[in-house]
Amino acid sequence: MSIQRLGLGTLAALGGGAVLAGAVSSGTVLSLLTQAIIYAVFAIGVGVLLRQNGMVSFGHALFFGSSGYAVGLILQLKLMPAEVALPLVLLGLVVSAFLMGLVIVRVPGVAFGMLTLAIGQMFYLTASRSRGLTGGADGMNIEWPSTLFGLSTATLLKPANFFMISWGTLVLVMLLLSLLLRSRFGAITEAVRDNEERARFIGIQTLLPRAAIYALSACVTGLAGLLSALNTGFVSPENLHWSLSGVALMMVVVGGYKALWGPALGAVVYFLAKDILGDFANHWMAIFGVALITVIVFSPTGIAGALERLVKGKKASPAGAKPAGH
Amino acid sequence: MSEFVLQADDVAIHYGGVKAVDGVSLTLKRGEIRGLIGPNGAGKSTVIDAITGRVPLTRGQVRLLGEDVTALGPTARRMKGLSRSFQRTSIFGQMPVRKQIELASYKMGVADSGADADAVLQELDLLPMAHVIAEDLGYGEQRRLDLALALVGRPSVLLLDEPMAGLSVKESMDLAKHLKALTSRWSVSVLLVEHDMDVVFGISDVVTVFELGRVIASGEPAAVRADPRVREAYLGSTA
Repeated sequence: MSIQRLGLGTLAALGGGAVLAGAVSSGTVLSLLTQAIIYAVFAIGVGVLLRQNGMVSFGHALFFGSSGYAVGLILQLKLMPAEVALPLVLLGLVVSAFLMGLVIVRVPGVAFGMLTLAIGQMFYLTASRSRGLTGGADGMNIEWPSTLFGLSTATLLKPANFFMISWGTLVLVMLLLSLLLRSRFGAITEAVRDNEERARFIGIQTLLPRAAIYALSACVTGLAGLLSALNTGFVSPENLHWSLSGVALMMVVVGGYKALWGPALGAVVYFLAKDILGDFANHWMAIFGVALITVIVFSPTGIAGALERLVKGKKASPAGAKPAGH
Repeated sequence: MSEFVLQADDVAIHYGGVKAVDGVSLTLKRGEIRGLIGPNGAGKSTVIDAITGRVPLTRGQVRLLGEDVTALGPTARRMKGLSRSFQRTSIFGQMPVRKQIELASYKMGVADSGADADAVLQELDLLPMAHVIAEDLGYGEQRRLDLALALVGRPSVLLLDEPMAGLSVKESMDLAKHLKALTSRWSVSVLLVEHDMDVVFGISDVVTVFELGRVIASGEPAAVRADPRVREAYLGSTA
């Protein structure tokens, strides 16, 4: 995709979101969509790790939950204004994830997944048990100030407005990731993912790019955590629990990770399915599980992969094999 | 500077009690092709691993262009001009051909990485496949891509680990001719590990024979071919 098309796509996406926010009058539907979009950002974070590093994390809820907790604690202890706390929390998350990445991305395959699971659960238990500080299993309310970046917090949190904020964040994240991943850095991480040993033999230092992708992935997921903390004004140990990491992973698998937008699509499908199926069955997860298996069997590259094949098949491009993704 | 581009002195690699390579010395002059033959398990690939820094030496020394590189890792040695190909095709499967060659070229510090990539692709007849994803290539093309990745940045030494493995007779001969022409034109020195005897004796300037981690014969192809120990240890058993 050329830069022009990327720019046009971004503008169209933002415009489309604004139209949608204006057209949907129901606050409930907008809230549902907002939640789906926040999880779309979360899932993109998990997807980037899989796409660029080939690594599956079972513990990404760590970054989703801890960004909420961090900003909640900072505001509770009145350490600094919220406007400073938000970027600082994200920065702290990136730095910690990078340092953590330097250690854990060396571990291959399933063992890496288990490590992420263990670290995530460690923080889950810590948050659950520190009643004095975090409210323990009950979670904690986040005391957002009445104005944020010069705007009234109540206005920001109106369904239509917060939908636009979340949507804008999603679009921006996708744009920045596309730009970053088409750069030299993107190519280097792909090379390391495909063949780490050969990468070393073409002069690539392989640890730093992998740790950087891990940090990037944590940053995107942390951003989703901040949006969620703003949206609900609340954070609980559930936000750190491995089952949430599992849900994000399901979104990635259903949507497909080869395309950057696949996980986002997976998140939207997940929330729509939850809303529609939830009306009919208590055990909607069982139905979703069957859907998940169907997708894995018939389109291992997810819904995004199936859609891309559909579009490509119709074009019947004479150039033959074209790079997948985007 | 010495006349040798590459010198391996008394290189040994022991895994516990197993002496995979035991005191091997090898040299390469500029533009020279040295064939390295020996039965399976003789330690040929291990020598390549040792020289490129993939496995640590038990003892010995590796000198590249006169400089001791024994303490350097594989990436640093590659940057200094010591390159290799792999016995099992080692490419970047999901990347288009030209993208990976250009990336390698960029990482090797070539100023115009695009032009360098095109030159290497041209050299190995891969230019028509420039935009094909590597894993969609045919086997022979993948072998050439592996070689192309090793040739980027014009290395001074190229260690080839069975580059003909799995190729048809015709493909092997084509690649051999190609290699011969390339080494003289780019003045690359080559250490060629290969099972195809016609290729080894056809294009090598000197041949070294391994058995059980040691050199049992070394010299001009004709002399090595006539060596009774070699005939007994290796050629006799396969011919």
